[in-house]
Amino acid sequence: MAFVTPALGQSLLRLFTVQGSWNYERMQGIGVGVAEEPLLRPLVRNGDQTAYRAAVARGAHFFNAHPYLCGLVVGAAARAEHERAAPEQVERLRAALCGPLGSLGDRLVWTGWLPCTTALAIAGVALGLGLPAVGAFLVVYNLGHVALRWWALRAGWAYGLRVGSALHQPLLQRAAAWSGPAMALAVGLALPLAARYLAAPFPTGARAVLAGLAATGTALLVWRRGQLDGLRFGLLLLVAALVVGQAWR
Amino acid sequence: MTIALYRIDDRLIHGQVVVGWGQPLNLGFVVLVDDAVRDSPWEQDLYRMGVPPHIEVVFASVAEAARGLPQWEADSRTGILLAGDIATLAALGANSHQIKRINVGGIHHRTGRRERLRYVYLTDAEAAQLRELAARGIEITAQDVPTARPVPVAEFT
Repeated sequence: MAFVTPALGQSLLRLFTVQGSWNYERMQGIGVGVAEEPLLRPLVRNGDQTAYRAAVARGAHFFNAHPYLCGLVVGAAARAEHERAAPEQVERLRAALCGPLGSLGDRLVWTGWLPCTTALAIAGVALGLGLPAVGAFLVVYNLGHVALRWWALRAGWAYGLRVGSALHQPLLQRAAAWSGPAMALAVGLALPLAARYLAAPFPTGARAVLAGLAATGTALLVWRRGQLDGLRFGLLLLVAALVVGQAWR
Repeated sequence: MTIALYRIDDRLIHGQVVVGWGQPLNLGFVVLVDDAVRDSPWEQDLYRMGVPPHIEVVFASVAEAARGLPQWEADSRTGILLAGDIATLAALGANSHQIKRINVGGIHHRTGRRERLRYVYLTDAEAAQLRELAARGIEITAQDVPTARPVPVAEFT
């Protein structure tokens, strides 16, 4: 299949825009359909576009999962279309993939790889590594992110309707199991280092106030779980500090 | 405990169900009622993948679910019963008379459906079917996640 490689490359590039047309009606559907289109072109037979057009339209139906793993459904659905799977089967495959790809992506990336690498970068800055730590974060995070996108697209394209076997790969399962604890370790390391680094310029009295506020914030976050988040609490403190600071002058 | 939620959601098992409802309810089992998924090992495999190992997943046809309901209602754990469309829960409700409340969690766009809420798209026939179920005394609300406001059926059909 000589057409495979350039089409897969094109599909991968289009997958970077998968959330660009996000909306409540189809969520990532349009983006997934656009990314799938290059893989579906061989369905045009002797100028007859019927199968191709129907497959592209199916590809753009409602879909939502983790953006980095959308390639899996793009590849798998395209493969199923090439194998002339029944349209209902392709629809069912897409429906069945929303859940597992969403939860796997959340565990691997949003609560794993992203906070883990961010925390290591913060620890690096706190330890005096400066800009190179930030640069290393950008390179390492994106290497992992692009590798995951590429793996997902290729695995989907290789397995088609049997894509479940790709998700059972031991390496992936181990990564999903370890990403949470690794993230916790990295964040646990970074927090005290960052606190020491940020509090260093302040006099002792101010540091005591900062420690008190941090303790209050933690207690509030645990106590008012679901109603308050760290970002809001932080912004509130910033506003309060600005107002008090202005009044003090 | 019992079945805490009878939910219509065309994505069946996904994050809103497992995390959104699963954590506050301390979920012990999920019953997925769908005749096609019941007979499809690869789909079952995919759906099971989105669920942590301590939550049991039961795949049932409509007929099996009607028979199993009394047992699940008496279960000591908390459960969620999921169906992908209104017709499935309507059939189950007609067979068992055990369903008192229905949660519309997500019915997404398809040709012929119109937006009623951001996560609820219905054809006129589907909206009528929901109103008819409500007229039979079943309390129907739309609510995607526990922190959202439950929207009564009259407001979105």
